[in-house]
Amino acid sequence: MQMFDVPGKTKNQERAAAMTGLGFFKRLKSACALLAVLLVFCGPLAVEASASDVVTTIKDEKGWRLQVNGEDFYVKGMVWGYSPRGQNYTYNLWGESDDFIRKVLDYDFGLMKAAGINAIRSFSTIPPKWVTYIYREHGIMTVINPLMGRYGYSVGGRWIPFTDYSDPLTRETLKRDMVEIVRTYKDVPGVLMFAFGNESNYGLSWSSFEIENLPEGEQNVAKARYLYSLFNEVMAAGKAIAPNHPFTIVNGDIQYIDLIAELCKDMDLLGVNVYRGPSFTSLWAEVQQKLDLPVVFFEFGSDAFNARRFEEDQRSQALLLKSQWQEMYNKAWGNGEEGNSLGGFVFEWRDEWWKYLQVENLDKQDTNASWSNQGYLFDWAEGKNNMNEEWFGITALGLPNADGVYEARPRMAYDVLSEVFAMDPYTAGKSRINAMFTNMDVELYALKGDVRQLKADNREDRRKLQLTGGDVRVEFAFRGSEEEFRIDGEDAVEFSDGQMIFLDFGFEPTENLEGQFSINILGNVAEKRPLEFTYGDRGLPLTIETEQLVGDEFVERQVTFDDRERVEIYDFSATFRGELFDAEAFYHTPRYHWGYEGDFFGLVREATDIVGMDVWNSKAPEGIEIRGKGAWDGLTLLGGPEVYWGANPKAVLKYDFELGKVGFSFIHSEDVARLGEGAAATQATERQSRQTTLYAKTELVEGVKLEVGGIMSATEKVDEVYTRVDAAGNIYRDEIKSDDTFGIKAKLTFPVFGAETYLSGHYAGLVADGGDPLKTFGVTDPSRLPYSGLGNKQEYEAGMMMHFGNLMVYPRVMYRENLVDANPFIPPSISPDGTLFPGVSPRNRDEDPFAVLGNREARSAEVFFTWDPTGATPFYDWDNDWREDAKFAFNFGGNYTEFPTPTDAYLFFFEPAGANASFGQGLPAEEVWTVSSRMVFNPNQRSRYIFNLVRGFDQSTGNPEGGTRDYFELNGKVVLNRKHLISGYFMKDKWGPYDFYRQFNITYPEQYKIDYAYLLGTQGALGSRMDEERATRIGIRAILRTTDENSPDEEFLDGLNDHIFLVVAYFTYRF
Amino acid sequence: MSYTSRAIPGSFPGRVLGATLLCALGALAAGCDGSPGPNDGEVINAIVLPTDTLLNLACADVGIFTERCVLEDPENPFAKVAIIEFDVNNPDATNKFALFNSIPAGRTGAKARFYFWATALARRASGENQFYTALALHELWNYNSDPIVQEQALKAYRSVLDNFFSSVTVFSCCENVRPPDDPRGPIPFPVGLNELTADNLYRTDATGYARLVPGDPLLVQEVLLEWGYRYRPANPPDYTDGLVFVNGG
Repeated sequence: MQMFDVPGKTKNQERAAAMTGLGFFKRLKSACALLAVLLVFCGPLAVEASASDVVTTIKDEKGWRLQVNGEDFYVKGMVWGYSPRGQNYTYNLWGESDDFIRKVLDYDFGLMKAAGINAIRSFSTIPPKWVTYIYREHGIMTVINPLMGRYGYSVGGRWIPFTDYSDPLTRETLKRDMVEIVRTYKDVPGVLMFAFGNESNYGLSWSSFEIENLPEGEQNVAKARYLYSLFNEVMAAGKAIAPNHPFTIVNGDIQYIDLIAELCKDMDLLGVNVYRGPSFTSLWAEVQQKLDLPVVFFEFGSDAFNARRFEEDQRSQALLLKSQWQEMYNKAWGNGEEGNSLGGFVFEWRDEWWKYLQVENLDKQDTNASWSNQGYLFDWAEGKNNMNEEWFGITALGLPNADGVYEARPRMAYDVLSEVFAMDPYTAGKSRINAMFTNMDVELYALKGDVRQLKADNREDRRKLQLTGGDVRVEFAFRGSEEEFRIDGEDAVEFSDGQMIFLDFGFEPTENLEGQFSINILGNVAEKRPLEFTYGDRGLPLTIETEQLVGDEFVERQVTFDDRERVEIYDFSATFRGELFDAEAFYHTPRYHWGYEGDFFGLVREATDIVGMDVWNSKAPEGIEIRGKGAWDGLTLLGGPEVYWGANPKAVLKYDFELGKVGFSFIHSEDVARLGEGAAATQATERQSRQTTLYAKTELVEGVKLEVGGIMSATEKVDEVYTRVDAAGNIYRDEIKSDDTFGIKAKLTFPVFGAETYLSGHYAGLVADGGDPLKTFGVTDPSRLPYSGLGNKQEYEAGMMMHFGNLMVYPRVMYRENLVDANPFIPPSISPDGTLFPGVSPRNRDEDPFAVLGNREARSAEVFFTWDPTGATPFYDWDNDWREDAKFAFNFGGNYTEFPTPTDAYLFFFEPAGANASFGQGLPAEEVWTVSSRMVFNPNQRSRYIFNLVRGFDQSTGNPEGGTRDYFELNGKVVLNRKHLISGYFMKDKWGPYDFYRQFNITYPEQYKIDYAYLLGTQGALGSRMDEERATRIGIRAILRTTDENSPDEEFLDGLNDHIFLVVAYFTYRF
Repeated sequence: MSYTSRAIPGSFPGRVLGATLLCALGALAAGCDGSPGPNDGEVINAIVLPTDTLLNLACADVGIFTERCVLEDPENPFAKVAIIEFDVNNPDATNKFALFNSIPAGRTGAKARFYFWATALARRASGENQFYTALALHELWNYNSDPIVQEQALKAYRSVLDNFFSSVTVFSCCENVRPPDDPRGPIPFPVGLNELTADNLYRTDATGYARLVPGDPLLVQEVLLEWGYRYRPANPPDYTDGLVFVNGG
């Protein structure tokens, strides 16, 4: 848009001119009539006319200027976003109430307006009405900047993490969608310009046969050609729709500037993100020479954290920004230099505390520097990172104000920029500009920044111990059963109440040590068992039987302890960041598996089910992890009493390295003791053991990935004796040999007609046990293939992920054989002459070196159909319950598995004995099946319905008595108006809700649960998983179970009791 | 800010390595199925129970809770034999006493009885299994007079008191009340194992074996006192009224 457009007179203006020359009254009369006509017929036109800002770039001999409605406009911009503490990229301000949005905008843009900021760029798409609101109320314009596939895109219903700009369907999809965005915003008042992408030239990560066949140095250039040609197609199409706005891209620096010059002919100005330090050096001249276009910086600036001194450094940030703006002003129109600077958007308005790690430490401002940039000499050091992602704001992220809006505490840079922005670079003249920068009283601004920081520190008491929050929980429980009612009538309802307080603390005693912990304090504990086991049950009264010496006799008596364990540390974590390593101590805080970090055999399991652990008052995971840096990069040490739920005390060493372009991971895990008690109440403990694995991963040819791993496991079991039976019925006594400790596994992933296909094979010796196998979609994978990490198998698996538009079809199959089958039960006997016929019995993992359990022989097949029109919120993401934004998304599928042989005997933890006990017999051969569906409905932005349906025919996970169960389950969650949360389930003939029910094959004819919660307070609106966890609420839930002979004896009472129930009213206040 | 993540395609060495590893896997899968062959292991369809009385302790605390080394003892014929505990939910099912009662009586079965009960104890920690292990050691010592076995038997009895003081074993009785063909079976009654233990140590008639603490029975009370217990001996004719107290309890 280099031509400059003089707005013509409107019809209204022409009519007004025509009125001149008439007599006063006549004119008055006519004017009134005309006014009436204008009001009626031309009112809409007038609104339309004001809606249509005309933004242009113009060039003359002094350089380039940007103009808005004919007025010069130098971009004094800011990259803006609103991310409260404790939230991350999933937070959506625009889903909040209009009232709250207005409060946020008025707060932020009021501060911005006071500083002279006149434009913003935002990574989130600001709805049109709020673009206009920001413009009309605060005079600040907005760049509409769709990222155009920069961080992946949904193409044909499939989420593509690395956008392939050469793919015709991708190009068509992106172009269509971008044009639609332009159409939406073209007449929205407050739109400054349209920009596409974000450093997209740094994200040319897709691969294709055509490009990979080029010499390596040319591959990215070939990819960039596709990118820039598509940019131009989008800009050309956009300009045809919105001719009154400039169009540009957001490039990473001026990489590929020659290609941009060649391919982006429809671009009006060059948008770039530049992190070159205090000066933009030769950028101006290069752009002038090669593009002859003006430049707008879409990101530049500096972080406000000094990685060398390890402290907040407002001065360095401010002085760097001052230097940058001085250069920009000098390069602006009319100052005798290149004249191609149109301004820029400082990165960024306010610190974002989620940027480092993104899903962790959201309540803390991380001080970890995650990349290195030598342009920032104030804290750069050779071989060390100096760019602190969470410290780029010219304002710091403060505490919430009375409206619940997180405050922006201005840093020194805010004051410096306020003075800079008060000057118009087009009219001031070079000497005044430089005088202003030279004479600026930076010491005053430094002092102001320091004072604000001190005040903030006083409020937050950083670097010391601070109370960061907590909650108070109160509940009233009513419990009863049919039999009790029959006997005692209404008096049978047992009432109890519970109170609990959590106090959350953060600490930062030194600059490189920080952490948090929570303390739990119990009042009374409501009696909800057996219907509900919850955190806090540790405080339930404990009655023991004992004897008391009375005279010379011992008399039996009962003693009840009702004040047990009232206070405990609920969780704790601390992070130390050093020169050569980072160390993290963790106690009951979530931890992830290493499946994506070279742990091919799943030795380090995921420990994220904190709520599940709470039920049994487990404090897993506990331990410390040390990750090397610099010279120690690639080395990880993990150790502790229970590094994942159910883990033996162990130490794990991992070393990642590369040879050529093959990535390797070596892991050794050594148990140093045995866990004292079972996780989840009755989960059996495992014998002390060890494993060593080596894993290699490479891409053989483009798109064909090979992973191979070897394991040596349980070498301590070599020479241990086991029994087996051959086909003729002979009983053998055999020993574990060294060969039995080895296993090897390979997985080949390759495309077949666009479908991601995999084949895997796994051979494992009798005791070559690994851990949890990693499923395609992790913990949310609906697959019921009988995965097992145990050895004694040859296993083959295949799957093909096919996409048909928004529909994904994913069939998978598995075949597994055992090297040694489970033992049958042949009872022992002794003949009168003293000969023992020892018989044989199912093995178990305590008394035998191995047992056939989940690794039993299997032939399994399944298929899942997944409909998800919005691939950017993948259906199988762990937090999809909150992130899914499709109007309707669902999956449906089923699994059929044949287990042709029985298992050995499972173990359970028998608490009274403090040891494992065996069920004695194994599960029989069986054919099992499951069909299931998950459905997500989003009828509008404020409501959500999620339902899960399961029908199955399956076995227990331990006790074979009672046989295979045929069951049905419906569970779901409904959010209404983001204030009402309803959840519940209905289960028929299914195991109870905790793992031990299935372990002991305990089922109920019917189980019902309904929970209604109303969220209170301005911060209570449900918009994310974190909202759900943090909201203050009041609610009520009810649980009812009917009983039969498959239910526990103490609940069924030989048929006397038909049902038991529980009603809990609760209130949770978060602060 | 730039966020770059880039998959690295395999280099030539990577391809060679990958192909090598893949071939190795294929060869392993095709040629080495890992299943034991017919010549692996030893057929144990029948085992002759030991008839001697020489006991080699597999470890210092064999037969004492919580030691489980008897399961690894190559001389233990029951190491891999199912020993079925009494099931309160299925009281009529065959249990360990059926197999136990098949062991030849007297001297020739004494060692086998020890292995039987020590194995049962290692599998299921119960007072009953500990008591019968002690009794089996007591019997074995009665035949071999080995002081090591004598000491082991005393440790085993002490373990009953220390670890299973309140445990009971169940006897049946009173055929005169319920005849043998009564479908309800005999009347079960529990007996405290602490009393049986003290009685076994105190009275030779209780076991039919020599007293583990030779000499005056009062010496047994001294031993029990050393262990932290007081014993009020049972009286004739039934000897069911003995009492064991925990010192300071």
